[in-house]
This record gives sequence, C-alpha cells and structure tokens, in this order.
Amino acid sequence: MSETEALETHLQELRRGTIVLACLRLLEQPGYGYGLLEELEQRGFDTDANTLYPLLRRLEKQGHLTSEWNTDEARPRKFYRTSPAGSRLAVALTDDFRAIAASIDALSSEN
Amino acid sequence: MSTATLTDRYIDAAMRTVPEKQRADLAAELRASIDDQVDARASADGDRDAAERAVLTELGDPEVLAAGYTDRPLQLIGPRYYLEWWRLLKLLLWIVTPFAAFGVALGKTLSGAELGDVIGTTVVATLGTILHLAFWTTLVFAIIERSTAGKPSGVPSPRGAAADIASAPGVFSGWTVDNLPEPRESGAGFSDMVVTIVFLIIGAGAILWDQFIGFAPAYPGLSFLDPGLWPWWITGLFVVMAIEAILQVVVFLRGRWTFGLAAVNAALNVVVAVPALVLLFEGRLLNAEFWTTVIPPDSSETVATIMAIMTGFGIAAIALWDSIDAFLKARRAR
Repeated sequence: MSETEALETHLQELRRGTIVLACLRLLEQPGYGYGLLEELEQRGFDTDANTLYPLLRRLEKQGHLTSEWNTDEARPRKFYRTSPAGSRLAVALTDDFRAIAASIDALSSEN
Repeated sequence: MSTATLTDRYIDAAMRTVPEKQRADLAAELRASIDDQVDARASADGDRDAAERAVLTELGDPEVLAAGYTDRPLQLIGPRYYLEWWRLLKLLLWIVTPFAAFGVALGKTLSGAELGDVIGTTVVATLGTILHLAFWTTLVFAIIERSTAGKPSGVPSPRGAAADIASAPGVFSGWTVDNLPEPRESGAGFSDMVVTIVFLIIGAGAILWDQFIGFAPAYPGLSFLDPGLWPWWITGLFVVMAIEAILQVVVFLRGRWTFGLAAVNAALNVVVAVPALVLLFEGRLLNAEFWTTVIPPDSSETVATIMAIMTGFGIAAIALWDSIDAFLKARRAR
C-alpha cells in the first residue's frame, strides 16, 4: 500500500462518523437526498452519494430521522428531518467530538 | 427496441434485491436523487446523456447500493461467525471423517469385496463425507449470518471489529477467559512413559499367557495366536517392544517428541504392523483351531473370517494413529 493510499484509508476511517453528525445537525431543517449531498460538499464534508443515501435510510430506521414525501413541486422528493432522538444523538456526538479534539490538542501541547 | 433509459435500468437492477414493501418508496426516492444529480451535472456541461452516464457510474453497482439500503450482508459468513464456523468445521472433519472412512472400509471388507473395490469405495465415501460436512456446516452458518443481520453496519464502533464481534447479539455466547485452552499434553511426561511401558509389559505377558496357558478357560493350552509364531516371530516382537520402551524413555529424557523420534516410532509401527498383516493374510497369525474348537462348526468359519478382518483393521488403525499422534506431538512441541 502506497503512502497516499494509506492516508486515504485512514482519513476515511476518521471522517466516517462525522458524516452522521453533520447530517443530524443539518437536517434540523428538512432536506432531501441530493440537496443534502450538495450542502455537505459546500460545508467541507466530502461524501459520496452511494454512502449518503443508504445512511439516511438507516438513520430513519433507527428513529433518528423522520421522513415525508413532498409532492408540491414537479419532482416529488422525500424530505428528512431530525427527530427528537436524533437531536439528542447529535448533542452527544458533538460533545464527544469536542472531547476528542481537546484530547488531541492536549497531545500536541505536551510534545 | 427498448425505450428504457439507463436510469430506468439502474433502478430496476437495484430494486431486484429490495423487499417488495419498500420497493416503491425506495425506487421513487432513488429516481428523484438520480434526476437531481443528472440535472445539476447537465446544467454545468450541457450533455445530458454523458451526465446520466457519469452519475450512474459514480453510484456504482446497483446491487451494492441496494445492499446498503437494506443492510443485506455481502459476505457468506462475516467476522462475527467466521471463527465459530472454522472451529466447528475443523472439529467435525477431524472426528467424523476418520470414523466414516474406517467404517466404510470395514463394512466393505466384511461383505467380501475385492481390495480395489474396498479402496475405491472408501476414497469416494471419504471425499463425500468431507463435502457434506463442509457444505452443510457452511449453509447453516450462512443462514445464521443472515437471520441475525440488521445491525447498522455503516458505522463501526471506534473500538474496532473485535468489540463489534464481542458485543454482537448472536446464538453463541461471548468469549470469556474460561475459553482459553489448557496447555496441551506434550506426551513426554513421566506418566506417559510409565503408562506406555506398563502396557508393553502387560501386552508381552498376555502373549506369553496365550501361548503357554491359553485364553479360553475351558480349553487349556488352546492359544488365540497361531502356535507356530513361537519362538522366532514372538521373540522378534518382544525385541521391537523393548525398543519401543527405550524410545519412550528417550522421549521422556529429551522432554519432548521430535520429528526424528516420531520417525523412529513410525518405523517401529511399520516393523510390527506389516509382518503382522502379512502373517494374517497368509493365515499364520491367528490360530485356525481356536474358533473351530470354541464355537459350533456351522458358524465358526464366518466368525473366524470376521475376527481376522477386524484384527487386520485394528492393527492398521492402531499403527497409523500411533504414528500420526507422535508426529502431531512433535509439531506441537516445536
């Protein structure tokens, strides 16, 4: 495995959980698949469509998202919104993310 | 001429493995997502066909995407059950295969088949046994893998795969320290040496008793082994048995079986088993008069034949197992 491949693999591992957190936070305002994909991209969360779409389904199945079809426009779209359970999960994940960031900062200050 | 677009075909392919009741909803959502993405890409560079092609290529194999939607496992047996499967399969192969091979060979020989027939049938039956064991064990585990799926697989716990496996709900209880294997018997302890030498002495005593006193109390002097074996064949056997006793002492002093000692052990087994089988085949190992004297004449011939065959298989099986056992102990002690 070359160095760039190893880097890619580790970055992917590191970012994996942050996509869930970003989705839960962004979907406090209802959103649909492609719109969310765009928004994640703009905000610096690099995500593939084939990762995001199944992830939304899974979070819905776990009760962290609710969904509703919007047929007002020409193209009907399924809109997702973070449920109260999803909001609680987002808070817990955010706290943990900050704790990890603090721990990592503490590592560099000791060196 | 088909009018289905690439997107139609893609959605169709993806929905094939999705359960019926989720299909309409998922198909509509996937179509909207693809159309959105194609629109966005086409408005940037104008070519709608190329955009459609690029978007679908990026989404990848539709069945993989569908598996992500439905949490369908994309492996026959995953890390949760792989080790259980492998341990059970090894155990079954070790236990069942030798018994099956031995039983088929014995049955075939007792029914009076030719040697070639016995070997052929045994080989085929053994291969069949291995295939059946492997197939059915794997099938059962593949079903268990699927029936306990549904755990979110996209977000592995940060503690890693081992923690995922340990905390997985399943049909098997989790690992505890009690599962740690005991240290293996080396086969080179003091008790191993004593037991082997005692057995050799009992064996030698039994042969002498048989030759000079006889095994059937009602017929003193009637031996089970052919009286013509005394004195040279039996003396030869005693020499080999003495060497075996010495070998055990050497193993004890070395503290372990080595490949060299295991090879000597195997050679000793050959030296005993091959002449014994040749003598048996020539009708010079067992006393022909034993059964005719002990059992009514109408059935004594059948009993004598069966006893001869059982003795032959017994000699071969013991020699083979003893040789293999020594090599296994040598490998373990490396």
